[in-house]
Amino acid sequence: MNALTSLLSLLIFPAGLTLVLTGMFYEWVDRKLVARFQNRVGPRWFQPFADMVKLLAKEQILPKVANPFLFFGLPMIAVTGALTAALYVPLVGFAPVSSFAGDLIVTIYLLSLLTLCMGLAGWNTSSRFSLVGATRALTQLFAYEAPFLLALLGPALAAGSWQISVINDYARTHWFAISQPIGFIVVLIGLMGKLELPPFDSPEAETEIVAGALTEYSGRGLALFKIGKSIELIVGITLVSAFYLGGLHGVLPFLAKTLAVLFLMSILQTLLTRLRIDQTVGMWWRFGSILVLAQILLTILLRGGIL
Amino acid sequence: MNIEQTLQRAEGLLTSWNKEATHPESNRLDVVVSDSDLRPAVTALQNGGWGYLSAITGMDLGPDANQMEALYHFCDGPAITTLRIRLPRTGVATLPTIEDIIPPATFFEREIHEMLGFQITGAKSNERLFISDDWPEDVFPLRSDFSIEQAKPVEGRHADELPEEGVVGGNTFVVPIGPQHPALKEPGHFEFTVDGEVVTAARMRLGYAHRGIEKAAESRNWIQNLYLFERICGICSHTHAMAYSQGAEKLAQVEAPARAQAIRELVAGLERIHSHLLWLGVVAHEAGFDTLFMYSWRDRETVMNLLEQVTGNRVNYSANVLGGVKCDIGSEQAKAIKEGINFLESRIRHYLEVVTTDTMFLNRTRGVGTISFEEAERFGLLGPTARASGLVRDVRVEAPYGAYSRFPISAVTETNGDLEARCVVRLKELLVSCFAIRTIVDNLPEGPLATKMPRKIPAGETISRVEAPRGELFYYIKSNGGENPARVHIRTPSLCNWVSVLEKAVGRQLADAPMLIAGMDPCFSCNDRMITTVDQRGSRQTWSWKQLREHGIESYKK
Repeated sequence: MNALTSLLSLLIFPAGLTLVLTGMFYEWVDRKLVARFQNRVGPRWFQPFADMVKLLAKEQILPKVANPFLFFGLPMIAVTGALTAALYVPLVGFAPVSSFAGDLIVTIYLLSLLTLCMGLAGWNTSSRFSLVGATRALTQLFAYEAPFLLALLGPALAAGSWQISVINDYARTHWFAISQPIGFIVVLIGLMGKLELPPFDSPEAETEIVAGALTEYSGRGLALFKIGKSIELIVGITLVSAFYLGGLHGVLPFLAKTLAVLFLMSILQTLLTRLRIDQTVGMWWRFGSILVLAQILLTILLRGGIL
Repeated sequence: MNIEQTLQRAEGLLTSWNKEATHPESNRLDVVVSDSDLRPAVTALQNGGWGYLSAITGMDLGPDANQMEALYHFCDGPAITTLRIRLPRTGVATLPTIEDIIPPATFFEREIHEMLGFQITGAKSNERLFISDDWPEDVFPLRSDFSIEQAKPVEGRHADELPEEGVVGGNTFVVPIGPQHPALKEPGHFEFTVDGEVVTAARMRLGYAHRGIEKAAESRNWIQNLYLFERICGICSHTHAMAYSQGAEKLAQVEAPARAQAIRELVAGLERIHSHLLWLGVVAHEAGFDTLFMYSWRDRETVMNLLEQVTGNRVNYSANVLGGVKCDIGSEQAKAIKEGINFLESRIRHYLEVVTTDTMFLNRTRGVGTISFEEAERFGLLGPTARASGLVRDVRVEAPYGAYSRFPISAVTETNGDLEARCVVRLKELLVSCFAIRTIVDNLPEGPLATKMPRKIPAGETISRVEAPRGELFYYIKSNGGENPARVHIRTPSLCNWVSVLEKAVGRQLADAPMLIAGMDPCFSCNDRMITTVDQRGSRQTWSWKQLREHGIESYKK
């Protein structure tokens, strides 16, 4: 019985199918908002779903030089990583399916798995565009990863736990977006970096390197990477709003808070110009990490009662 | 200094090599020099600071005259000096290169080499730039005895210097951009050798959609050609038609009425707004700022609608006829133009603010691809690209033509020479254009729209220069007194500005390369004028006009 519930929660709800569909819905909201901000009509509500069905039905072309195991395996690992990460976050406002002390760190690294897989996939297909794209994706990973993690540690330190569900409950009474504003800004921008949204889309800058690391991918492989991306979108937003926006408890607060974060992100996407990769790295190490370190220092001092 | 003094100075500089000097028109000096004296003569003009090399025209005068001519046109304000070199047609016509004296000459020299078979000695590179790789050797399309049967594609002939596949070695490899690439919607090919993210070498190749318009012009009459030249470019179609009709009118000694000339300037102004707003969108897109791209293209619709109201067409406006224009500005159009221009002016002011204050956009434009005044002069840059470096190259100001002396334009320059300056120059230029358009609408001279043109135009040759949105557009037109022009040579502004991209990309980040290409506002349709189609089975075939026409009719029937 227990195994059956676990399986159900993994495959249907809240992870699995529900997650994929919600992810697509959020992707549509993002695309539609950006389109409206840019004075375009934007996609219809079922567009991400239609894209996925089309891609899944299409032929997958294996480049001659690519290692087939890696080529077919990497998209699966990426999706698996993103789906597993979803188990530890309070999706749809329910308590996480699985929870243990220190699951925050595991979740963050499961989320990075997607970027790593994309980097490897780009290197494996060895097209010039995907090589440059892969290098950029991995370089960018080293830029935003540490500040993003540190920004999530702010609430964790204040709550005195590394367990997502505990922090989520603690946040109910503490709006960290207000008490730790710098951390909130960094985590929001860090999430955009993680999702490779503009202005951090240089790994897939179409005007320079076509589709970046995924240039050679088609059909199912591409679809899986896209699914992984949209799951990461929803997991990332959930994590950020659970930590910084007073926790996620119940379906309505979940929708309100996550959509608010998505709205903020689409405004930023509309307003900002793509950064060059050297500018991205410079920005994160020169400003992002120092700001977030200051925030953490402040949190520790306050908590220790020194200030 | 007036035109006469300027021309006298040129004659003075060239005395030692001058074999025969004539003044075919009041603003032109024509000097015949021998091929061995070309380099010293060019050096003398260059050292004397006399103008810039505007174009090299090659001509085959046919088996009867048994002569080939190469004309090196130098422009200094309104004055034009032409160095004319005559070579026998039998045997190989050899010319010394001048690319080490004037860098942009390399494109002109390669053009006359590929099209007419002039051998250029001492040139650094002889690889093909315009003609397709499988074009047979020693067949030159602009020779008078060329026939389409000669143009059988050669199996297995490849590019002169094939790029190595994939990794070149160590950390360097070649990133190809184009002819099919999301950064370029037009068919040009660039190879950037990158070491990590830094570009270490750059090459380019044009001619993927070469249409052979100069050749086609020789078999069409004067009126048909007007519509042919208008189709060289979809964005600056009016300036092409204007340059051609001005030239033809000069040869026929017909003057277009004042009202027609004012309307020509008006349409040119609207076209400039259309072109620069389009360009702003493209640059914003290359930089990854899609919001600006969408907004500027939305506002461009306004000016396209105005053009449609005035001329009846949105792209190839077809406002000109030989001897005048065919569309009038009534009170209704005048009102619409004023309203539209007021709206556009406020939008352009807004964009000017965006490109100079938006920090994220400035990250990608400020200090990128900086070209100093001296470099701009040495590269022979034209149009807004030159003006962004402080070099005044604007035919409308230097040598006012048509109505530009009556409704003058002030030249807009910037000094920084980077991408930001190029954005600012183009947008400020639009404000000037808006002002001019309003003045013209308010003070439109009364009178007829066109003067009658003869069907045959007396023999002679002329040069017509017009400022296109991208820079100076150069037309050399020669008539033998018949119904068709004997030779029309067109040098488009994009061709002169390429050097700036190739020189400036090296040493910079790969991410800047598309920005640099877009920054000079390249127009591939300007550069590519022969049709080679590649069918799906991969075999190439050069189509004659007749076949192409039949194919077009067939494919529309389906």
